Amino acid sequence: MEAFDNLLLGFSVALTPINLFWCLVGVILGTVVGVLPGLGPAATIAMLLPLTLKMDHTTAIIALAGIFYGARYGGSTTSILLNIPGESSSVVTCLDGYQMARQGRAGAALGISAIASFVAGTVGVLGLMLIAPPLARFALRFAPPEYFALMVLGLAMVVFLAGDSMVKALLAMLVGLWLATIGTDLFTAESRFTFGQVKLLGGVDFIAATVGIFAIGEVLVNLESQGGAEIFKLSRGLRNLLPTLQDLKDCRFAFLNGSVIGFFIGALPGAGATVASFLSYGLEKAVSRHPEKFGTGVIEGVAAPEGANNADAGGALVPLLTLGIPGGNTTAILLGGLILWGYKPGPLLIQEHPQLFWGLVASMYIGNVLLLVLNLPLVPLFAQILRLPYYVLYPLIFGISIVGVYSVNNSLFDVWMMGLFGLLGYLMRKLDFPAAALILGMVLGDGLERALRQSLMMSQGDITILATRPISGTLLLIAVTILCLPAIRKVRSWRVEAVEREG
Amino acid sequence: MKLRTILLPITVATVMAISAGFAWSQEFKPSKQIEAVVHTGPGGGSDLLARAIAELLQKEKLIPQRMQVVNKPGGGPAVAMSYLAEKKGETHTIGFFTGVWVTNPLTTAEATVTVKDLTPIVRLVLEPAVIAVKADSPYKNMKDFIDAAKKNPKQLAQSGGSITSRDNLMRLLIQKATGTQWNFISFPSGGERLSNLLGGHVQLMVIEPQEAGEQIRAGNLRVIAALTEKRLAALPNVPTIKEQGIDVPLIPQARGVLAPPAAPREVVQYWEGVFERFEKTASWKQYLEQNQFEDGYLKGPPLSKFLDDLTVQMREVLKEAGAKVVR
Repeated sequence: MEAFDNLLLGFSVALTPINLFWCLVGVILGTVVGVLPGLGPAATIAMLLPLTLKMDHTTAIIALAGIFYGARYGGSTTSILLNIPGESSSVVTCLDGYQMARQGRAGAALGISAIASFVAGTVGVLGLMLIAPPLARFALRFAPPEYFALMVLGLAMVVFLAGDSMVKALLAMLVGLWLATIGTDLFTAESRFTFGQVKLLGGVDFIAATVGIFAIGEVLVNLESQGGAEIFKLSRGLRNLLPTLQDLKDCRFAFLNGSVIGFFIGALPGAGATVASFLSYGLEKAVSRHPEKFGTGVIEGVAAPEGANNADAGGALVPLLTLGIPGGNTTAILLGGLILWGYKPGPLLIQEHPQLFWGLVASMYIGNVLLLVLNLPLVPLFAQILRLPYYVLYPLIFGISIVGVYSVNNSLFDVWMMGLFGLLGYLMRKLDFPAAALILGMVLGDGLERALRQSLMMSQGDITILATRPISGTLLLIAVTILCLPAIRKVRSWRVEAVEREG
Repeated sequence: MKLRTILLPITVATVMAISAGFAWSQEFKPSKQIEAVVHTGPGGGSDLLARAIAELLQKEKLIPQRMQVVNKPGGGPAVAMSYLAEKKGETHTIGFFTGVWVTNPLTTAEATVTVKDLTPIVRLVLEPAVIAVKADSPYKNMKDFIDAAKKNPKQLAQSGGSITSRDNLMRLLIQKATGTQWNFISFPSGGERLSNLLGGHVQLMVIEPQEAGEQIRAGNLRVIAALTEKRLAALPNVPTIKEQGIDVPLIPQARGVLAPPAAPREVVQYWEGVFERFEKTASWKQYLEQNQFEDGYLKGPPLSKFLDDLTVQMREVLKEAGAKVVR
C-alpha cells in the first residue's frame, strides 16, 4: 500500500533525534499554552515563527504542529478543575468535567480526557494519512446551505442541554444568538448593537464571555455558600485518581463519536473545534442510556468533546495540506509559516515535498503518544489543586481568569466584559438557566446567520435551496427529527399512561 | 553697568540659539522595543507582513531595537487605528496600514480616527489582484463571463469579502462599465472564498496572484484578467482588464506604515530613512517577488496625496455601492 511506504518514509524523518526533540518541545509548549486560559496556540505560533527561520523546515512544522494539537490536550485541565475553559473548544468539557471534579472524580475526568484525546488524535492522523485528498474534495461540496444545516443541527443539540426546562434553554440560546450578532455585519458593514463602543465592533470576545459565565459566575455563586475549608472531595489512592476499566468501557462509543465528528468537522474550513465538540457532546447524549445524567458529571460527557477537539486538529490540517486552504486562525498561521519558509501551499505540496507531509504525519503519531505519556502521570499532580482551601482556590480562579482574558487582546475592556458576563452567569445559575445553551447560541449564531444569508444570496432569496440540496436537506431532516424527539417522547409517555389507565 | 546689561541678553540668546541648534540637529534613535500595530489577529495578512518586515529589518540591522508586533483586531481597522491615535507623543510605536484603514472609517460611525489623523511614513507594497474562475468553467476571458452574465442576469455569483472590500467595489465598477449584474456572496476568510470557487458554488472571484499561483499550477484555477495597469510578470499570458476593453479605475490595495498623530519631525525622518534603506535591500526584493507584490515605495507629500486621493475615490465608489457613507 502506497500510504504505508510513505509512512515509513515519514517515520525515517520523524525519528531523527532533532525532530524527536522538537516534537517534544512543541507538544509540551502546546500543553502549557492549552492549560493557560487566554493565551492560545495561534498567538504562540505567531510569536515563534521568527525562531523557526533558522530551523530545518520539516523540524519547524513538526514543532509548530505539536503546539497546535498539544494545546487541545491541555485545554481540558482548567475546564475540569476550575471550570475555566482553557481553550474555546474546551467549553463543553466544563459541563460534565467540572461536575465530576466536584464529586471527587477529577482524576478520572482528567485521565479520560487524555485517553480520549489520544485515541481521537491518532484517528485524526490516520484520517489525514489515508483519506485526506478525497475528504478535501468532499468538503468542497459543502456550500453555505450545508454549513447552515450543520449549524442548525448543532442548535438542535440544545434539546440535549435543556435539563428540566426547555423554555429556559431556548431562551438562553436565543440570548446567545443575540450576543453573536453584536459587532460589524460582514455583508453590509453596518454596526449592530455596538452601543457606540469601538471595542465592540469586533463583537463580544468569546473567551471573555465564556470565562466570565463559567469561571467568574461559579466563583460568585459559591461566595454565597458558607462552605468549609475544602469544597471538593478528593479520593485517596492512585487507583481512584485515574479512570477505571468500567469507565473505559462506558466511553467506547464516545471515543468513536469524538474521532469521527471531530475529524470531519475539522476538514470543513471555517467550522471550528468548538462546533465539533458541541456536536459530539450532543450526539453522545442522544445515544446514551442515561441522557438525563448528562451535565451532572457523566464521564462520556468529557470523553466525547475532548476527543472531538483533538480529532479536529488532524482534520484542520486536511484542507491546509491538500489544498492550501486554512480552516481557522491557527492553520492560517501555519500557512503563513509555510509561505515564510518558501513553500507554496497548494494541491501539489504533498507530491512535491513528501518528506514534509509524511514527516509531519509520522511525528503526529509520535506526538500523540508523547502527550499521553506526559499527561496521564500529571493527572494526580493536577488533581491536587483541588485540595486547596476555597479561600485560596477562588482568588486563584479569579486571578487566572483576569490575566488570561486580558492576554488575549491586551484589552482591559475584555476584562470588564468578563466581569459583566460573570454577573450574567451568576444570575443564570440562580434562576436555573442552562449556561451551556447560551454558549451554544453564541458559538453557532455567527456561523448560522452568515450561512443563511449566503445561502439566500446564492439562491436569489429562494429559501427552498436549503432543503433541495441533498446534503443540507439530509442534515436538516436529522435536526428536525432531533427537535421533535421531546414531543415524540411525550406522546409515547401519554400512550403508555393511557394504556396503563385502561389496563 | 551698561556692558552687563547687554552681555546678559546676548549670552542668553546665544545659549538659546546653540541649544536650539542642538535640538534641531538632534536625531531620533529608538532606545527601547518598537511596537508595530496591526489590525488583524495572528495569522492575518497584515500580521504576517508586519512580522516578516520586522524580521527583515532586524536581519538587515536597520533598527537597533527589537520590533514587536501588537495585534489589535476589532471592527476592521477601527480598534488598531484608535490605539495608534492614543499613542500620540509616543515615539516607539508605528502601525501597518492597508486599504481598509482608508475605507473603513468612511462607513463606520463608531470609528473615531481616520487616516488623515495619523502621520504617513511610507507606502511599501501595492498588492495586485486578478480575476479567477474554476479551470473547467466555460469562461476563458472576461468577454465569455460578461456575455454569460448578460444572458443570465443576477444568476452568476462571485465570492469575496464584505461589500466595502476591494472585491466588491471592483465588481460594481465592472458591472457599471459593462451593463451587467451578478451576485456577490461575502465570506469572512480567503480560504472559504477559494473553497467555494473550487466547489463550483460561485463562478468568479478576485484573488491575489500569490494565492492563486499554486491553484493554477495544480490546474484548478484559470485567471482571466489582471486588475493592473500592466500585465503581471508571473502571468504574462493574462491580459489586463483594460486590454480586454473594460475601462475601469483600478482600486489599489496598498500597504505601508503610519505613525501616531502629529509625530515629531525627527521621528518621521528616522523612519523614512530606515524604510528608504530597507526598500533597497535584496531580502525585501526577494520577499516582494515571493509574494508577487509590487514595490509600491512612496513617501512624503506624494504619499499624503495618494492617501487623500484614495479617500476621495473610495467615498465615491462606496456611495455607488450603496454603503452608508458617514464621513
